[in-house]
Amino acid sequence: MISKKVILTGSFGVGKTSIFNQFLFQKFSDKYLTTIGVKVNKKTVEAKGQEVSLLVWDIAGEVTQDKVPTSYFLGASGIIYVMDLSRPLTFEKLDSDIAYLEELLPGAAIKIVGNKKDLLSKEELLEAQQNISKKLDAITSAKTGENIPDLFLNLAEELV
Amino acid sequence: MTKGNHINDEERALERLKDILLKKDRAELEEIRSILHSQEKLTEKVKPILLDHFEFFKENFSHEYESIINELIDKKLKQSEQELLDLIYPSLGKMISKYVTLQMTTLKESIESTVKSKFSFGRSIKSFFTGVKESDLIIANANVSTVEEVYLIQRDSGILLASASNNESMDKDVVAGMLTAIKSFVEDAFNKDAQDLEMIEYGSYKIIIRSYYSFYIAMAISGALSSTEQNNLAENIDTFASNELKSFKGRYESSSAEISKLLEHQFIV
Ligand SMILES: Nc1nc2c(ncn2[C@@H]2O[C@H](COP(=O)(O)OP(=O)(O)OP(=O)(O)O)[C@@H](O)[C@H]2O)c(=O)[nH]1
Ligand SMILES: [Mg+2]
Repeated sequence: MISKKVILTGSFGVGKTSIFNQFLFQKFSDKYLTTIGVKVNKKTVEAKGQEVSLLVWDIAGEVTQDKVPTSYFLGASGIIYVMDLSRPLTFEKLDSDIAYLEELLPGAAIKIVGNKKDLLSKEELLEAQQNISKKLDAITSAKTGENIPDLFLNLAEELV
Repeated sequence: MTKGNHINDEERALERLKDILLKKDRAELEEIRSILHSQEKLTEKVKPILLDHFEFFKENFSHEYESIINELIDKKLKQSEQELLDLIYPSLGKMISKYVTLQMTTLKESIESTVKSKFSFGRSIKSFFTGVKESDLIIANANVSTVEEVYLIQRDSGILLASASNNESMDKDVVAGMLTAIKSFVEDAFNKDAQDLEMIEYGSYKIIIRSYYSFYIAMAISGALSSTEQNNLAENIDTFASNELKSFKGRYESSSAEISKLLEHQFIV
């Protein structure tokens, strides 16, 4: 079995912890318990007929990525960058954040995710997408679980 | 009165004579003055000379000034000796302590093997003659601490490479990841001179951490642990890392099962 380190990052309160909890336990809570430091979790998935153990580092949200201790990123193969579709402030730093991460971890697979889809109407969703400077790899809801398993499976496929 | 007039006349005559004789000189003086006082004119005159000098400088600088500059550098180095030492010392200290530790281990091993070959007829006699073993024996007998788990962990990613354990505890991959996160955090937050985190204490648990280039080894110990024991364990880990792991260089991940067995054999049973 192979192990891959994956980082869940983005601004605070965007739903990083909720996304992982939904993926791991198919559970969601309305309570907001902000992550302190890092929480490491594991889930094994099958990608291209191979068992992959994803070690997911769920890190405390920061307004810009350069505030995250760089050592947390070391050795990561994948990055999931999460934004809150209902809070435009959380996609303001997308371009500079991604540029920063690409430089820090050249060769890592990066997934750009818009979360909390359930809070937006169809029109609002379109508008939000227009205001986001990059194409989204996934539009998810940690509440309903929509598109969450696919997000991790797609990433795992890219990593093996 | 007359005398006064006479002098005046003479002065005037002299002045006229001067005018006549020095007219050319005065004009020249006037021109020089005007050059001196006009930046533009002065530049025009001086520039070619300076340029010549610069040219000379360019060609002969190192030759002409080498010794002076060397002296300056020497002086500067002497003045900043402290700063340089501050820069070099932390890593030097680490290198020395690692080297000494290794040498001590080797020395200890060679003493032990000498002792073994000379006094192989019984532990009591051995300890009687050397004294070394006796203290070791006392420590060994009083040993109430237990190595609970040993982890070999990839240094950057925190991915678990191999492990051995006394009891089936929680998910070892997650423990390895969290340990690495804590280690990164502490090293980032408090690290002024590039030291590695070497010890975590939690209740009666101690985690000894030994960091190497691409991996680190973490050992969780329960029970009382003397500083001698702690040092011995650290030494053992270092020796294990340099002797046993050498042959797996670059393929730790794929040799996980094999290394785990070695870890268990060496530290758990
Ligand atoms: N409606 C809705 N709420 C969500 C969703 N995802 C997360 N939330 C809520 O948003 C809040 C923050 O979620 P977290 O998962 O804790 O956010 P986080 O990104 O881990 O935050 P930090 O750990 O502080 O960086 C919580 O109250 C969640 O219940 C979602 O998809 N839909
Ligand atoms: Mg969180």
